[in-house]
Amino acid sequence: MADIKTKSFVTASKSSIKDPQLRQALEKVGTGFDGARREAIEEISEEKWEEWRLKAREIKEHTIDNLDYYLDMLYTNVTNAGGYVHFAHDDNEANAIVSQLVEENNVKIATKSKSMVSEELGLNHVLEKLGVEVYETDLGEYIIQLAEETPSHLVAPALHKTKEQVASLFQEKLGIPYDEDIESMARTAREVLRDKFLKADLGISGANFLVAETGSLVIITNEGNGRLCTSAPRIHIGITGMEKVIPSLEDLSTFLRLLPRSATGQRLTSYVSIVTGPRRITDEDGPEQFHLIIVDNGRSKMLADPKLREALYCIRCGACLNICPVYQKVGGHAYGWVYPGPIGSIVTPNLTVLQNAKDLPFASSLCGACREACPVKINIPRMLLNLREQLVQPSDGSKSTSTFSENIAAKSYTSLMKHPSMVKLGNIMLKGLQKPFVRDGVVSSVPIPPLSIWTRSRDLPKLPDKTFHQIWENNLKDNQDTNG
Amino acid sequence: MGNPMKNLGTPKNIFLESIRDCLGKVEGPPLEQRENLSQSPDELKQLCAELRVTLDKELDVLLSDLSVSAEARGWNVHRPANVEAVLDHISDIAKIWGVTDISRSDQQVFTEYAIDSGISNLGYNITTIAHNDFPDDRTRLRNAIISSGIGITGADYAVAETGSIVILPRKGLSRLVSVVPAVHIALVRKQDILRNLDDVFLLRRLDYHLGNDMGSYLNFITGPSRTADIEQTIVIGVHGPKEVHMLLLD
Repeated sequence: MADIKTKSFVTASKSSIKDPQLRQALEKVGTGFDGARREAIEEISEEKWEEWRLKAREIKEHTIDNLDYYLDMLYTNVTNAGGYVHFAHDDNEANAIVSQLVEENNVKIATKSKSMVSEELGLNHVLEKLGVEVYETDLGEYIIQLAEETPSHLVAPALHKTKEQVASLFQEKLGIPYDEDIESMARTAREVLRDKFLKADLGISGANFLVAETGSLVIITNEGNGRLCTSAPRIHIGITGMEKVIPSLEDLSTFLRLLPRSATGQRLTSYVSIVTGPRRITDEDGPEQFHLIIVDNGRSKMLADPKLREALYCIRCGACLNICPVYQKVGGHAYGWVYPGPIGSIVTPNLTVLQNAKDLPFASSLCGACREACPVKINIPRMLLNLREQLVQPSDGSKSTSTFSENIAAKSYTSLMKHPSMVKLGNIMLKGLQKPFVRDGVVSSVPIPPLSIWTRSRDLPKLPDKTFHQIWENNLKDNQDTNG
Repeated sequence: MGNPMKNLGTPKNIFLESIRDCLGKVEGPPLEQRENLSQSPDELKQLCAELRVTLDKELDVLLSDLSVSAEARGWNVHRPANVEAVLDHISDIAKIWGVTDISRSDQQVFTEYAIDSGISNLGYNITTIAHNDFPDDRTRLRNAIISSGIGITGADYAVAETGSIVILPRKGLSRLVSVVPAVHIALVRKQDILRNLDDVFLLRRLDYHLGNDMGSYLNFITGPSRTADIEQTIVIGVHGPKEVHMLLLD
């Protein structure tokens, strides 16, 4: 399993916010990726987009509700095409399957196309321990592999790095002269990795979708590394989560329309590869073996909970990250594990341990932008609330994460709001108390906690002269006067 | 291959049973079947026949739609009037890139349009991936493709909606010819132009449900290779071709 640092969300996000280079990188997310997404939707019309979203949602609902049936169908059809399907209950089992295949086939060099599930498993370390040279081949993944970091975005894993940082990294790790021209850095990656593609024994890929009807694995890429990984080596292993299956090839068109547009605003990525089994006898080339590893690794926790089940509809487009005001400020690493952003705040606590990721469900203003952007209409804010509830009032007997003072505050607030006369009285008192702190219409600094924490980086608006109650009563009176 | 292969990990039945436990259901098909999975080959045949009629009727529109859409995705679209024009395009591209070595597939389109002999007479070092030319000699085949500056292939379909070509495995077609050389030239026959993704999948599903092999791959190619992984800046030509040409053959 990849290192889990979900406990340090608060400290990690604080240092993220102070990092000027990261802020600069994140500022482009809203205009870049999200801007492109909006344009793509506008191009085909909101109505059409909504129609596709509803269709995709319906397909996902149906498939996840019948997941056993479609995985069985997939198994049959992969097997008929000459491939092998291996089921892994958790990360250890998945890693053991890859290890066994590697050893049986005497694999020395492996190239990898992007796979978030392999990040979950910490697969690269496992392979390295076996003495296999592993090369990430997606440019972003290659960069973070060289830097010994983890992805900070679902679609653009090296989003957090500036071109100067990448240039220094290439200079240090590849021993080439410093050159911050983005085009020449991409060329360097082409040259270095070209050789590896052709020498590799094993190509590892993830899967964007699995098609039950035909037993196919679908990968969507722009660079061409996915095609090379699944074409050049003698073995291809696809590793993916069990939720990726869809029933029919016909259903795939809906998802191919939604995913690239939601991720990068493209009508279709440069390459879509639909792989069905190993090379046939009549093919000129291609892998001799095809293995598909289907991983649970905690997904059944979400499957078993009807409130969280729809988290499994996610197609990992990253649209919810790009639009999220929290992600845009703290970046992907602060979330502490493989899946960042709003959907990550649901998936991560469920695939790891909720109590160790207790800040993630709270890392949201519940503004709902993620739900609006989601191509499969996943109700992310609702699930974040469900997780908050689980943390505060655990049903499994574990300890509530709310503190003593939070409980007192919540109880006092509840009883206060039940008594209008108390609210009125409180208002009068607070109006008096705020006087020494008001500057230019705002309360910008209060020395007493918990208000001191709030006002450290934010202003509180001062209480208005007239309360809502007073305005309401006055208006009512005025209206009665005019009507009468 | 040393050991006989087998399924590893959790046995299928146990894995699927645990999923059923999570869902609280018993083994069996969905209460409501997906419509597309209950279609019979006859129904699919009917749909494909109707599609063919539509495509023939819309051919001129599709040609111009494809040109516009493909150009927008980064293809250089040409509509050569005859074989000579096809060969002119190929040698123009080779000249611009200073290419001496070209690899090409051995698909039907080359003989159908009598392009094969013309290409050989252009004066370039042409490697044809003819079936059985390199039986199990991957290294020779690969080296020829790697040293080529241009790869030329046919296409099974072109898709107007997305500006893509679709390539299926064929005898005499290497997977690498369209992805390894810096330039890819795709020969597209006008009658292979489809409207959209649904058309592609309908045709493939009919073929599959008639009992034919799905084929080890089905590749959509939509413009050149690209990345935006450094500072969201688009760079053309990472691992795949930097330049792609679509030759629409009448």
